[in-house]
Amino acid sequence: MQAMQNFPPSDESMKSREPGDDDAGLPAGTEQSDLELVRRAQQNERGAFDLLVLKYQHKVIKLVARLLRDPTEAEDVAQEAFVKAYRALGSFRGDSAFYTWLYRIAVNTARNSIASRQRRPLDYEAELSESEQNNVAARLKHDDTPEATVLSEEIRQTVNAAIEQLPEDLRTAIVLREIEGLSYEEIATTMDCPVGTVRSRIFRAREAIDRALKPLID
Amino acid sequence: MTDQIREQLSALLDGELPRDEMDLLMRRLDKDPELRRTFGAYALIGESLRAPGGRIAPPSFAARVSAAIDESPAIVEKASNTRLASPASTARLPQHAALWKRPMVRTALAAGAAATAVLLFRPEATPVAQLEVTPANSFAMSASPTPAQSQRLAGYMVAHSQFSTPMVRRNVLSGLLAADPGITRVSYEMGEAP
Repeated sequence: MQAMQNFPPSDESMKSREPGDDDAGLPAGTEQSDLELVRRAQQNERGAFDLLVLKYQHKVIKLVARLLRDPTEAEDVAQEAFVKAYRALGSFRGDSAFYTWLYRIAVNTARNSIASRQRRPLDYEAELSESEQNNVAARLKHDDTPEATVLSEEIRQTVNAAIEQLPEDLRTAIVLREIEGLSYEEIATTMDCPVGTVRSRIFRAREAIDRALKPLID
Repeated sequence: MTDQIREQLSALLDGELPRDEMDLLMRRLDKDPELRRTFGAYALIGESLRAPGGRIAPPSFAARVSAAIDESPAIVEKASNTRLASPASTARLPQHAALWKRPMVRTALAAGAAATAVLLFRPEATPVAQLEVTPANSFAMSASPTPAQSQRLAGYMVAHSQFSTPMVRRNVLSGLLAADPGITRVSYEMGEAP
């Protein structure tokens, strides 16, 4: 409900948002890893760009869904943003982090989508959706489809439950990496073990969580 | 897909994979959809931990993006002007030369030349009294061009319009014929113009 208070987002509020608002949580090493993938994608390695999509698809869809009046369009707009990013990849010079650049493209694509919808003449369906928006329950439905909400909540619960089940060394390693954003070297220092062990522990933690998640996301 | 490969995948996501391990892994990723799925799942785990809630991408999303890119590959501007590309891959035409090679630029230049020709050589466009009579502009001075002059002008414009889009070409030709019924033959070859 809180998010609804800001709908639709004004141009001003969109302008004032900084990319850092959204990429602050990215762990250490992400930027370097992204730059390497971008460099490969620029040299026509399509697989490298596919990995960037896999890496940021959830983040971009969440961002776009927050900005759009009708978040059910989020997937289409996010897809358009990724296609635009791919087409413009030649102009990415690495002056900023890749996600910061992608973030701007996604925000602009969402803004264009909102603007084009406002220019569109009302049709029967649009009028229906307008009147529905006066109804709080309908607005909630629009904000996030029940399926999306349930799945997202199930994923969150499954991930948390799987982490609880992990042996302590794996749990510590994955938490330090994903939540605290430490590099492997920093984790190795914290846990007093070799970097190779950190790499292996994080991998095994992810494997265990993925096994638990697989029935949900496949 | 061995544990070792998946461990490399995990390290790749974290930006901790040594470069010498990356090439082989990228080639494997290209061939193995399950490996790509695993990468997506690892990314989702991190996202769920850092920013729980909100919408998530459906499993088919990345494939949809990939298909959308494949549908319009011609518009993609590859790494022709990037600083990130390795030095070996940056051997390219100078900026101005590359510009000439773009179809839109070529079209714009051809259309511009044709438009200039129309403006400069249309006899009714410039009042006769304002022109100074010199041998250089005696062609423009004639109130009514001779058939030979019309034919030459038509050849010039047609030659330029060939670099343009079919619609622009059609407009140029129909404009020419409408403006000067004296033109009896439009040639596609400059050499054929009298």
